[in-house]
Amino acid sequence: MKKDFNLTDFAIRYGFLLLMLGLVIGFSVAQPAFLSARSGVFILQSVAITGILALGVTATLVVGGFDLSIGAVATSALMLSAYAMVIWDLGAVEAVLLCLAMGALVGLINGLLIVKMKVPDLLATLGMMFLLMGLQRIPTEGNSISTGMSLPGGGTATGTFSEGFLMLGRYRLDFILEDLVPLSVVFLIVIALLVWGFLELTRHGRVMYAIGSNAKAASLAGINVNGYRVLAYVISGTLASFGGILLAARLGRGDVASGNNLLLDAVAAALIGFAVLGAAKPNAFGTAIGALFVGILLQGLTMLNAPYYTQDFIKGAVLVVALVFTFALSGRNGRGRT
Amino acid sequence: MPQDAIVIAGLTKSFARNNVLRGVDLTLSAGQVTVLMGANGAGKSTLVKILCGVQAADSGTITLDGRPFEPASPAAALRAGVVTVHQSINDGVAPDLDVASNLLLDELASGSSFVLNRRRMRAEARRIAGAVGLDVDVTRPVSELALADRQLVSIARAMSHKPRLLILDEPTSSLSAAETERLFALIDRLRAEGVAILYISHRMSDIRRLADRIVSMRDGLISGRFESQPLDYAGAVRAMLGHEITEVDIDIPPAGRPVIEARGLVLRAGAAPFDLTLHENEVVAITGLVGSGKSALAEVLYGITAPVAGELRLDGAAYAPASPGVAVRAGVFLSAKDRLLNSVVPDFDLTRNMTLPFLGRHAALLGLMRRGSERAVASRMIAEMGVVCQGPKDGILTLSGGNQQKVVVARWLAEASRLLILDEPFQGVDIQARRDIGKRIRESAATRATLVLCAEIDEALEIADRILVMSEHSIAGAHRNQNIDLGLVMAQVTESAAGHSA
Amino acid sequence: MISRRIFVSLMGGIALLPGMALAEGAPAPFDNPGKVKIALVRYLSTGDFFQAYLSGVEKQAAALGVDLQVFDSRQDAALQADMVDQAIALGVQGIIIQHGLTESMKDAAQRAVAAGIKVVAFDVNVENPAIPQVEQSDRDLARLALEQAIKDQGETWTAGYVYVPGIAPLDRRDETWKEFKAKYPGITEKAMFGTMDNPIANSVANQARSVLSANPDIQVVFAPYDEFAKGVKIAVDEAGMSADVAIYSADISTADIALMREPGSSWKATAATNPAVVGEVSVRTLAQLLAGETVGASVIVPPTLITQAQLNELNISNMEELGAKLPAFVHADVSVSPWMALPAR
Repeated sequence: MKKDFNLTDFAIRYGFLLLMLGLVIGFSVAQPAFLSARSGVFILQSVAITGILALGVTATLVVGGFDLSIGAVATSALMLSAYAMVIWDLGAVEAVLLCLAMGALVGLINGLLIVKMKVPDLLATLGMMFLLMGLQRIPTEGNSISTGMSLPGGGTATGTFSEGFLMLGRYRLDFILEDLVPLSVVFLIVIALLVWGFLELTRHGRVMYAIGSNAKAASLAGINVNGYRVLAYVISGTLASFGGILLAARLGRGDVASGNNLLLDAVAAALIGFAVLGAAKPNAFGTAIGALFVGILLQGLTMLNAPYYTQDFIKGAVLVVALVFTFALSGRNGRGRT
Repeated sequence: MPQDAIVIAGLTKSFARNNVLRGVDLTLSAGQVTVLMGANGAGKSTLVKILCGVQAADSGTITLDGRPFEPASPAAALRAGVVTVHQSINDGVAPDLDVASNLLLDELASGSSFVLNRRRMRAEARRIAGAVGLDVDVTRPVSELALADRQLVSIARAMSHKPRLLILDEPTSSLSAAETERLFALIDRLRAEGVAILYISHRMSDIRRLADRIVSMRDGLISGRFESQPLDYAGAVRAMLGHEITEVDIDIPPAGRPVIEARGLVLRAGAAPFDLTLHENEVVAITGLVGSGKSALAEVLYGITAPVAGELRLDGAAYAPASPGVAVRAGVFLSAKDRLLNSVVPDFDLTRNMTLPFLGRHAALLGLMRRGSERAVASRMIAEMGVVCQGPKDGILTLSGGNQQKVVVARWLAEASRLLILDEPFQGVDIQARRDIGKRIRESAATRATLVLCAEIDEALEIADRILVMSEHSIAGAHRNQNIDLGLVMAQVTESAAGHSA
Repeated sequence: MISRRIFVSLMGGIALLPGMALAEGAPAPFDNPGKVKIALVRYLSTGDFFQAYLSGVEKQAAALGVDLQVFDSRQDAALQADMVDQAIALGVQGIIIQHGLTESMKDAAQRAVAAGIKVVAFDVNVENPAIPQVEQSDRDLARLALEQAIKDQGETWTAGYVYVPGIAPLDRRDETWKEFKAKYPGITEKAMFGTMDNPIANSVANQARSVLSANPDIQVVFAPYDEFAKGVKIAVDEAGMSADVAIYSADISTADIALMREPGSSWKATAATNPAVVGEVSVRTLAQLLAGETVGASVIVPPTLITQAQLNELNISNMEELGAKLPAFVHADVSVSPWMALPAR
């Protein structure tokens, strides 16, 4: 920081933020409606769920792992919350707790598979992903869950999504404008701050970064490496299930879905995050910016009537550019694996 | 008078400001085994690398059979008849290929008109293997062979080049006694066939068995030649270690109360049990060859592995740590060897590398880190250890090797311990850093027991009050570091232990 | 709407339960239906539509008393072709091919026909004159919904349109949309968007939010697939524009009914073919072939228009009630022969 001005350094540190600023200006010129408080909140809302998932996967990236099951955990939580309320007639609180417990349990199993059974992280979580994609369909024989649906055992489901539960996805707070900020955006911001604080400011986050950088050294420093690795997967699973809860609250029914797009978008956000401020490593702030970046791009492109396939293309291009920032431009040897 | 196979004159080599070879003159004769001894950093491996074409000399000449010899690559050296068997066995073989392919690897790699005719390959391979007394199925993959057979493959492969000079770099370090004898028989035969052999080893038993002459190296120069029979082994060791070591004056303080007491400790099945007591205000060094059990002892004391038998007491109480975490909480610290592998966290700056094991000390409510507290410790340790850096936020990898080592040692000196184990604390550091680290370890030793593990005897002599010798996972000798009999130490390093106590 | 024939056959189906009872009067091979083996070879299977289709196939097969084997290739075109061969090897008499790719299924279907097996295709063109195609009429679906939009909103409005090209049913619905735009020049398409990213409703909602804020003057959104419509409705509600935007769609489910009936819901009407009915028709068409009856090259299952007003008036809250109160939805009088037993209602 006290060094002379160096263009490459500057590009690595601030390039991505400048690119984002440029996008905002570009979109605002092309489509004035883009630059409004409501539009800003839309963007946040559209990335709230993938952002929360991305923050979870960031925790596993920090310890040098990876969690491919987050998308499936989210859709499983979506189905489970619907099942709990529509078929078991449970209330909002029970449904939320049940889903969070399910996410934490899946994370725990992932972690134990990796730490105790020595299954490589990608394979363990890939297996878990398929397992959950199938499991979530078994209780309803592949049907989506909604009030009034016929049950496989005969009869119809009488439970409903409780108002309190739906509020999680739909309630809006008055902030500057009336009914401006949806709760899901508040959750995103709070979770981003919590994960950031946990990873950057606490000893536990510090230890997790040490494990990701050199697990052997961390272990020889007396750190319970396995415990922290399991913790990372529990965090990831719990946050993914929370994302699923918000999804259920927004959709108002239990939709059968693979969650693969959620996974890909979340991973993209986390990887783009590597490039933010030249961190060259997983970090919560970068992940949040990465999610926001994708949200801004998609919102702007949709407003300009760009068809969906160009959006995929541009998402991919952004990811590639971010990875180039991380691995080629920044002189530090970024981590070989992601 | 044997014929001079290779004549080296005025050879020099430097890396940056570091003069590794400072004018080496050496003649190797056909039909003679020349043993080369030298401490780490004396320049042995650089000399070997120049001879086998991995590096080029800065100046000086090498002649092979009267012709100038300047190999541009390992392959060129091989073609000229200089063959090297490296210390690490797997350097010499491709474990996944079968024996035949390994034996003919150089032909395969050089891509001469050798057609991959399986039957011819196998016949040729069998001939080469037979020449070194290697009797294995040549179609088996090398990875299935015993270590000694792998090494024979490596040597046999070398022999297929009809060498003029054979260089063996610590070839017996991984072999059993019987396997060693087989290797020696082969060396005898090659010697009789008129091959010049340069044999690098510290193992006195090997040296006694093989050497026609001994050459000692120190600080990039030949420091002694011993050719008249009987060979002066003690003189060779002295020439290798030099005088400076004996000049290091160790003021042995009175030892305090016992901190660690080990009774009947067995480090691996079949090893002799031994006792060990380490006292407060005492620096004990354990020396021994690579694989002699030093690190195994460290792993037991630090809770990484459990001993096969025996019990440990720490400050009088039973001590059986289940993990490094437990050991650290009990006040037993280990600064591991191979810092890049086992100690350095590359993504962290210097401060965070130092505070890693004791984050709890710098954490407030909810585990929030107090940066000021961390910075204070880092600044104090940078000053105490004399770490050369721009500041406590420097990335660890921007530091030189010696300064990195100071940081990872400082990590464990920052907090008070009952027992501090330092495994190879002088590995890959320059002489100044080595002095700084050693001084700091001794200065801070009053309130704890200190155990330093080092393969090099001169490092042990520089730092310890007491020197223990380890061999075959047991303690082979104990010496107070005063007027020490280096010949005896060397002998104990290389001979089998009978189970002493220290 | 409810023709007498439908009603009669419906009552007949109920009266003559179980299906086995009819076997005596049925032509061969249905005089001994337990010996008749048929196979359903599926390309698409996840999602409510395909689930309901399967249930229709199962119910009609059970009513006829035939032995049904289900093969599920889960969107693997090559595997689906192999499964046809497996079915041939199993010695089935009839095969229903449900979706798939013309390229991969054409040869497999021909092999089955050559083996003397009767084949019916649903929503896939296998280019074989011996194989009748069961279709839901996507053009009619779009037409019914759009006619309702014209009826409700007049002939001049600004529209948003949700469409993802390359998906056959959506492409067919798109043709109708283009015709309507040509026919009614007062319709202005301000924005076209759409995505199949899973979960679809969530992704479409995000897009629709952007589109609505960029084009706040949109009055009508034509979303000819219920997942699209659901996404648009979420966005409309979130933007507080329920009173200003009307949604017209295609397809229906229990959850869709609830959304359409929410107070002030912007989802005004949908046109739908009951997938279970399509499944039943597929089996009956195959049965007719097996019994040696003549079947046309194309069997079309007609759609039904379902409006918000209808749902409210009849107080319909799920698919069962929809079937009970709108009988046109629960049975199509297509491919019905007098000897056939129909599923129980």
